[in-house]
Amino acid sequence: MRYFPLLTALVIFLSSFWITKRELHPYKLEYPTSFGRRFTIPDDNSTTEEGVALGRMLFYEPLLSSTNTVACASCHKQANAFSDDRQLSIGVSGKPTRRNSMSLVNLLWVKNLFWDGRANGLENQAVFPLAHPDEMGQSLEASAKKLAKTRRYPSLFQRVFGISSITGEHITKALAQFERTLISANSPYDRSLKGETTLSAAEQRGRELFMRGPAPERGVRGGNCAHCHGGAKLMQEVFHNNGLDSIAVADRGRQEITSDGLDNGRFRVVTLRNIALTAPYMHDGRFASLEQVLDHYNEHFHFSPNLSHELRISHNEPTGQRLGLTSSEKKDIIAFLRTLTDSTFITNPAFSNPFETKK
Amino acid sequence: MTPTSIKLLLGGILVLLFTTKELLAQTLSVTGEVKTPLTLTASDLHALERTEVTAKDRDGKEHRYAGVALTAILRKAGATLGGELRGENLSKYLIAKAGDGYEVLFSLAEVDAEFSGRTILVADSVDGAPLPQGVGPFRLVIPDEKRPARWIRELKSLEIRFAK
Ligand code: HEC
Ligand code: HEC
Repeated sequence: MRYFPLLTALVIFLSSFWITKRELHPYKLEYPTSFGRRFTIPDDNSTTEEGVALGRMLFYEPLLSSTNTVACASCHKQANAFSDDRQLSIGVSGKPTRRNSMSLVNLLWVKNLFWDGRANGLENQAVFPLAHPDEMGQSLEASAKKLAKTRRYPSLFQRVFGISSITGEHITKALAQFERTLISANSPYDRSLKGETTLSAAEQRGRELFMRGPAPERGVRGGNCAHCHGGAKLMQEVFHNNGLDSIAVADRGRQEITSDGLDNGRFRVVTLRNIALTAPYMHDGRFASLEQVLDHYNEHFHFSPNLSHELRISHNEPTGQRLGLTSSEKKDIIAFLRTLTDSTFITNPAFSNPFETKK
Repeated sequence: MTPTSIKLLLGGILVLLFTTKELLAQTLSVTGEVKTPLTLTASDLHALERTEVTAKDRDGKEHRYAGVALTAILRKAGATLGGELRGENLSKYLIAKAGDGYEVLFSLAEVDAEFSGRTILVADSVDGAPLPQGVGPFRLVIPDEKRPARWIRELKSLEIRFAK
């Protein structure tokens, strides 16, 4: 075997490629076909098991804040479907945030993030809370430096992204990968669609009211909620003024981004999945309960100039000005909203704090 | 007058002023696979050839809508209509977008009056009055469709794209 040494050399040479080549496993995003594939994942940040695992650690990592005390998870708690139970959240400065924290669910399908849609794509979005002085208050460069000094992170970033030094860009990429996996589609409502369970009579009535617009001339009663919050994901990426203020002054919403007067007081129509877990409600967290939300749509909204046309024209009574649902109809809609709570989502160990010892 | 009714009146005037100002400032853009991208104001629309149609809205009642035929606007932008609507141009589509972000799609062939024989209107008035806030200043009206889900209110933009 005079070729033996040569062969060994060759094997060693080749295997060195094998070792440095990063073996990553594509992450399989699972969701009902009804959700559709109207989403884009950036080509330079495809979702991998390893990237998602790193993103999950970063999501719970307080080192990303100037005080080493605040993580994304501080304001986006799994038990609250990744929202905050406070009206306004508290970050490193102790000053409340400007708006109510948002639930992080099914963001794979959202292009324009935040209440006013100002951030395009999850990678770009993450820069905002990381750097904001009232949220995590630390530059991406400072975060990258802190992580580089730990024992844990350099090798993880090396494995996921093939980089020798951690950068801010890769922090946001890993976070985005984790956030894309936060899919909720297993509520009693979803199971009822698959025929695995049936809704109670009240929930069923509430569902019909939620889905239908009123047409008193034909004897049809409805809450018309699905006109905005409809579709399989119970959200649409549109911006509406739902009459919270007569003219929005303190927070102009979408108008702050577009400078268009017609966008005054318009905010994104968010998903109502897990809505029973995400109180308080609306961009400023003004409503503490779903009862207050229903009272708003039924009795109190302002006829602001930009009030959504749909809210202006939906009446259950032929001469009514507002929705005009009865109190038992409002209760039915709330009963339906409670069927949107996905308990498997808020207890899914894959989304929980990886640094907490397993119970 | 009681103080509350004065307040209401003043409020009403304020809202009216606000509304007119905002509606006048609105434009309709035409972009994408066109020779000349356009940004049209309400008065630009008045200068084009006017068309009227009668159609049933969601309220089930007939209304007279006036405005400009969608074909005329697309022609002004130099979209491939009429004789040019063949070959690969038949894989073009139009995305119409509303102020709230709502989008609907048409194949380019179905919106070309010469091709499909139908009139789609970019309306700016209904029953002789300008479209109200929340609906106007521009709205798509498609008289021969049974469900008005593509009659988008607050029409903001028309974009022609190739299906890739
Ligand atoms: C101090 C509290 C706080 C912290 C910390 C925080 N957020 Fe948020 N988050 C908010 C608030 C408040 C909003 C809504 C802000 C707005 O719309 O202007 C929000 C909105 C979001 C949204 C938009 C969701 C949607 O539906 O559009 C995403 C995504 C998000 N946060 C992710 C993160 C990530 C990732 C981190 C960590 C890097 C983080 N947040 C840290 C409070 C916080
Ligand atoms: C015209 C569109 C529209 C209709 C119709 C509509 N909503 Fe909303 N909804 C919105 C918008 C926009 C927001 C966010 C508003 C904000 O925070 O400023 C919202 C917010 C909410 C929220 C709070 C979400 C959160 O995370 O804080 C709930 C709950 C809600 N709507 C329930 C309903 C119900 C129930 C109905 C039917 C009775 C309904 N909506 C009808 C547009 C609509």
